[in-house]
Amino acid sequence: MKVSLSWLKDYVDVDVDVNQLAHALTMTGLEVESVTDQYACLDSVVVGRIVDISPHPNADKLSICNVDAGEGFRSIVCGAPNIRVGNLVPVALPGTELPSGITVREAAIRGEMSHGMLCSEAELGLGDATSGILILSDTARPGTRVKAAMSLSDTLMEIDLTPNRSDCLSFLGIAREIAAILKKDLNYPKIQLPSGDRSVSEQTSVIIEAPEHCFRYAARLISGVKIGTSPFWLRSRLESIGLRSINNVVDVTNFVLMEYGQPLHAFDFDRLEEHRIVVRTAKEGEQFTTLDGVERKLSSDMLVICDGRKPVALAGVIGGLNSEVVTETKNILIESAYFNPISIRRTAKRLGLKTESSHRFERGVDPRGVISALDRAARLMLETAGGSMAKGVIDEYPRPTSQRVISLSVSRTNRLLGTKLSAVAIADHLGSIELNVKISDNDHLEVTPPTFRVDLERPVDLMEEVARLEGYDKIATTYPIAPVTSNKPIQRLPCRKSLFASLAGCGFSQIITYSFIAERSCDQLLVSSDDSRRRMVRILNPLTEDQTVMRTSLIPGLLNTMVHNRNQNNEDLKIFESGKVFFHTKEDTLPEEVEMISGLWTGSRRERSWHAGATTVDFYDIKGVVERMLDGLNVPSVHFRKPGDYARIPYLKRGYSAEIFSGEVYLGEVGEISVDVLKNFDLNKPVFIFDLNFDILLSQISEVKSSKGFSRFPAVSRDLALILDNTVEVQGITDYLKGLGEDLIEYIEIFDVYEGKPIPQGKKSVAFRIIYRSPEKTLEDAEVNDLHEEISKKVLEHFKAELRPS
Amino acid sequence: MKAELEKIEKEALALLKTDLSLDEIKALQVKYLGRKGLITGCLRNISSLPQEERPKIGLLANKVKKLLEEAFRKALKEYSAKEKRPEAGIDVTLPGRPLLRGTLHPITQIMREISDIFSRLGFEILEGPDIESDYYNFEALNLPKDHPARDMQDTFYISENVVLRTHTSPIQIRTMEKKQPPIRMIGPGKAYRVDSDISHTPMFHQAEGLMVDENVSFGDLKGMLTIFVHQMFDETTSIRFRPSFFPFTEPSAEVDIECVICRGKGCRVCSHTGWLEILGAGMVDPAVFKYVGYDTDRYTGFAFGMGIERIAMLRYGIEDIRKLYENDIRFLHQF
Repeated sequence: MKVSLSWLKDYVDVDVDVNQLAHALTMTGLEVESVTDQYACLDSVVVGRIVDISPHPNADKLSICNVDAGEGFRSIVCGAPNIRVGNLVPVALPGTELPSGITVREAAIRGEMSHGMLCSEAELGLGDATSGILILSDTARPGTRVKAAMSLSDTLMEIDLTPNRSDCLSFLGIAREIAAILKKDLNYPKIQLPSGDRSVSEQTSVIIEAPEHCFRYAARLISGVKIGTSPFWLRSRLESIGLRSINNVVDVTNFVLMEYGQPLHAFDFDRLEEHRIVVRTAKEGEQFTTLDGVERKLSSDMLVICDGRKPVALAGVIGGLNSEVVTETKNILIESAYFNPISIRRTAKRLGLKTESSHRFERGVDPRGVISALDRAARLMLETAGGSMAKGVIDEYPRPTSQRVISLSVSRTNRLLGTKLSAVAIADHLGSIELNVKISDNDHLEVTPPTFRVDLERPVDLMEEVARLEGYDKIATTYPIAPVTSNKPIQRLPCRKSLFASLAGCGFSQIITYSFIAERSCDQLLVSSDDSRRRMVRILNPLTEDQTVMRTSLIPGLLNTMVHNRNQNNEDLKIFESGKVFFHTKEDTLPEEVEMISGLWTGSRRERSWHAGATTVDFYDIKGVVERMLDGLNVPSVHFRKPGDYARIPYLKRGYSAEIFSGEVYLGEVGEISVDVLKNFDLNKPVFIFDLNFDILLSQISEVKSSKGFSRFPAVSRDLALILDNTVEVQGITDYLKGLGEDLIEYIEIFDVYEGKPIPQGKKSVAFRIIYRSPEKTLEDAEVNDLHEEISKKVLEHFKAELRPS
Repeated sequence: MKAELEKIEKEALALLKTDLSLDEIKALQVKYLGRKGLITGCLRNISSLPQEERPKIGLLANKVKKLLEEAFRKALKEYSAKEKRPEAGIDVTLPGRPLLRGTLHPITQIMREISDIFSRLGFEILEGPDIESDYYNFEALNLPKDHPARDMQDTFYISENVVLRTHTSPIQIRTMEKKQPPIRMIGPGKAYRVDSDISHTPMFHQAEGLMVDENVSFGDLKGMLTIFVHQMFDETTSIRFRPSFFPFTEPSAEVDIECVICRGKGCRVCSHTGWLEILGAGMVDPAVFKYVGYDTDRYTGFAFGMGIERIAMLRYGIEDIRKLYENDIRFLHQF
């Protein structure tokens, strides 16, 4: 909310510097976002003395003034007739942007250069007078700022109010806080109304048909007004906080809205068909054109103000075009009401209409302040638009507000805040903002908050008031005393840490992408229509088309990140992401969330350097990364299988991808992205990825690591080079070797795999080095030779292989 | 035998003239003079010669042996002298074989730092779902439907009662539902709001903190957050609490730290106020305790929540929040 300091001073004496005031407000919970000088636009308007006036050679009505503007003489073309030699006048120097929006420039006017502009009161935004140049008092000195010469100063504060403080959505509300801070009195406007002529109840009536929506409705009648422009003081007050002046009657309702925080509405009484007010809910589908000229369709839970026949206003939100105050309006009915906040909020939300009025009603206005605001408006209308007031006020009040009494414990207040305040100190704080406090005994206060503090309902609400009025900075900083307790971390934290460490160690950098992605992502990955990844959770109100569904895979995020980097010429990429994917379950219930960890590697295998030529990454590079990750987590029996079919992983290249298992538990996959999918992402370089289900991984981790003894005797190695069908998987051979149950085999190493000449077509050569070692003794050559020969024979037979000639 | 010895001498001397490495010199020394070396072999074979040739050949063999011993000694000496010469060896200024350093995302690094600080204070790290029910995200946090405070957070909806959590605060509720006080927990995670500009992204990260016990006070909240700020930034960073409003805490506070860029003098980053708002906090509202069935007469507690992006941006001098989610590898490698 914007407030002007000079307006605030109507209600409270501010005798501190504005920055000090802003700081104090911020520290009591009314955050001042900015402090600006209202007259900053007049900084380059200075006092000038007219030393000479000569006629303009090319224009009868213009004259050329020679002006002493302090720093020297300026020649300025002027059209106003009221100036005389010797007058002190405001001179807007070139570059000045006047409140009207005009920027003053050095320019030729009818062939004569003008170095500035002499201004009228209206041009400076200081008053109504437009006809002549503003003549300043003789005491002003040429060259000084007009602002200083006229003692113009006002400061605008922008206050960011929290939703609980509806009482501060008004000048009086903020002045009340200031009064409490500065320990001053708050001066309410003095309202004296004429007794009035014909009784209001003879002329109109108010019927509330929907008391659950409208708790109070008051009205006054003023007849014989003359609609016109508001006086300067009223216009400038409104304009100072950015409101547009409309006419004297509407301006008064807006002024009182800002002053009291009570929204008001002025109806053209003669346009109310039955000259009365009926407050009822709208009929379903009822049409109504609001003040902004928009025709709206209403529903049955919206509250409307009717004239007996038709709606004339949307209660608490906006008036109707059909009863608007216009130039011809003679008689006015002023509405001041208290509507149910929830009702107003729903209506405003449903219609997408947020007005100064609805903003206040939905947060709660002062139900007791309804009449004072109404009276204040009537008083000001009589002053600004003339007319006479009907006698009395209509006040329908079907649901009177009761005063709450809250019992506050001093000790509990101190316990919560960590303070040692006395009952008297607490009472003083609460009393300073118009709460009625009675000290029952040393520990108990009976507190009655005023009705404008709709946010004060419970003892804790009062404790907060005490805390902020005492000042948070005055509450001592302490440290809690707590018993020593400790819990084992949830399993996923250390496991995540281990994976991240492995990956970073392998040179992978972590990325974080948005959890929402484009709906087309599944299509891009060629995922089939019955795949679970099509069970996407949809966002009802997405920000952009690329963020319409929650991701069911991390792969699109990786590929899109690659696209971004490729576009920046970052060709080599090793990245991973750890995060959740989401699967729709049932309507209006929480989806299934699964944590995944996935990575992408493209471009060069090693960092480019002088040591070796660039080689590009292949399947075995990324497989190595996965092996290292899983090894770091101690996942048992990890193995990789050629996929039986690619239905689950349609985005991977056939023959170049593997499924990853721990025992028989499926963990994920690793492999190369298929060419079709690359195309869908507008990529064309080989990309390798891994995609692991972290939740399943967690369930497989063996936390037990145990030390095993190892042999102190020397090892003996023997090679076994085979030629066999190239369809035989090497894993089968190592598994077979291990499966022989030969205790002396310590380790099997594959040291060469080769296809091509001189190996016959359809065959490959695989060379193993078998390391033999006994835990008990040094093995004899002969013993090892025999064993190795026996094993070799079995392998040759089992795999229909031949020995590769050496 | 004589010819053989002469050949050995000639060959060895010739070899020693070539450019040899230390290992090669030593290997040759073994080859010629070692226990099974050629010279030793000759000396051993002398006994098989006819008696008359023995003294002559023996003399010659010993001469060659001495000669070669001297030559090897010289070669080794020369070698070590050569080694000390500056121009010898490799160019150590050439870069080593690079091993790419992978990095963790700055958000992860800051989250870990925050979690570590509170872990040291005995706070347990807990997580919760990203997609939440209206109940956990709003209602149980004292944000009933139709409450104006709901406007404070622009929400992504999945359906009427399912939302992308707008803050990590639901973790508080889920924790309190599961266990009785005392509670000390920190809940890092993602949150989502319909917001996108230079300082907001529709997805962001928060860390939530909660402590509930008997006699936990607002002063204690100030103490804990002061410890946090001093560890996260530095011991001299001033901290201030000012009143604010959150439906789930009362009293509520916004916590500002002295601007880390200008040290409180006022600059662009702190909008010339000298202060930076980094977290929201307060005493848990009794209404929230009622939702989870805690005894409000017995327990009090504090809660706080902070935006990770903001802290990361301050820590690393990141000006545009969107950089965090572009994942440009040149950006990521900086952390």
